[in-house]
Amino acid sequence: MTSDESVTEEVEVDVVEEDVQEDVESTDDKPKKQSKSEKRFEQLEREGDIAADYLEGLLDIADLDGDIDMDVEADRAMVAIVGADNLDQLVGDNGKTLDALQELTRLAVTQQTGERSRLMLDVAGYRAGRRELLTEMGQEACRRAKEEGTSVSLSPMTPYERKIVHDAVADAGLKSESEGSEPNRYVVVVP
Amino acid sequence: MLDAALEHLIRGIVDNPEDVEVNTRNNRGRGNTLDVIVNPDDMGRVIGRQGRTANALRTVIKAVSPNGSIGVNFLDVDER
Repeated sequence: MTSDESVTEEVEVDVVEEDVQEDVESTDDKPKKQSKSEKRFEQLEREGDIAADYLEGLLDIADLDGDIDMDVEADRAMVAIVGADNLDQLVGDNGKTLDALQELTRLAVTQQTGERSRLMLDVAGYRAGRRELLTEMGQEACRRAKEEGTSVSLSPMTPYERKIVHDAVADAGLKSESEGSEPNRYVVVVP
Repeated sequence: MLDAALEHLIRGIVDNPEDVEVNTRNNRGRGNTLDVIVNPDDMGRVIGRQGRTANALRTVIKAVSPNGSIGVNFLDVDER
């Protein structure tokens, strides 16, 4: 009977899952048996730890206050420097310094893990605030595109920012595309 | 402080952190320049594609510099 086979398989899967927490204490990179998603989660947590060390070192030397929050979200390590008033200098005009610091932090993570990192860094809630603003811009562009029946072009944005706008437009039930070439690529909302 | 900050930022992204050296050079009233020495094998890493990493390092160091006027110079092997 073929049904026996599937039963056996299910049992095996259960066993694998039970073994997952086995070496929780160990900092060893090679846990024995883990589900893929748990392995991925641990890997992203490790990215966050490396990033936090790197950034804390900088804050110490530069004598800047600030706590570091870590999280895993949408298959990315999310690291945020929060809690102090003097952090604006780490954001810079249009987030230029923040982007530079994120770039370096990703390199520091890659240096230790050997794998490319898509880690997102935020400072003083800048990206969170920017996300809200970009979502509103996307919604506003949708209103105009519908009312006027024409395409609406937005100002140039980074790939991550465009993604936020595309998502907002899709949520509003309209279509959008990107035109132009980096670093002047921009979103066009199509009625 | 700036030399230590730059040293820290670079040490974290290279294969040979112990070879990283940053020296401050005074330009007689025209601000300071940080001279960076890294292992030749790490030079590409520190400069990055189209100077991307070097520019990121400059941007962050300028941001934490008290008056924003600080140069960063990456020394080639024969400039040492």
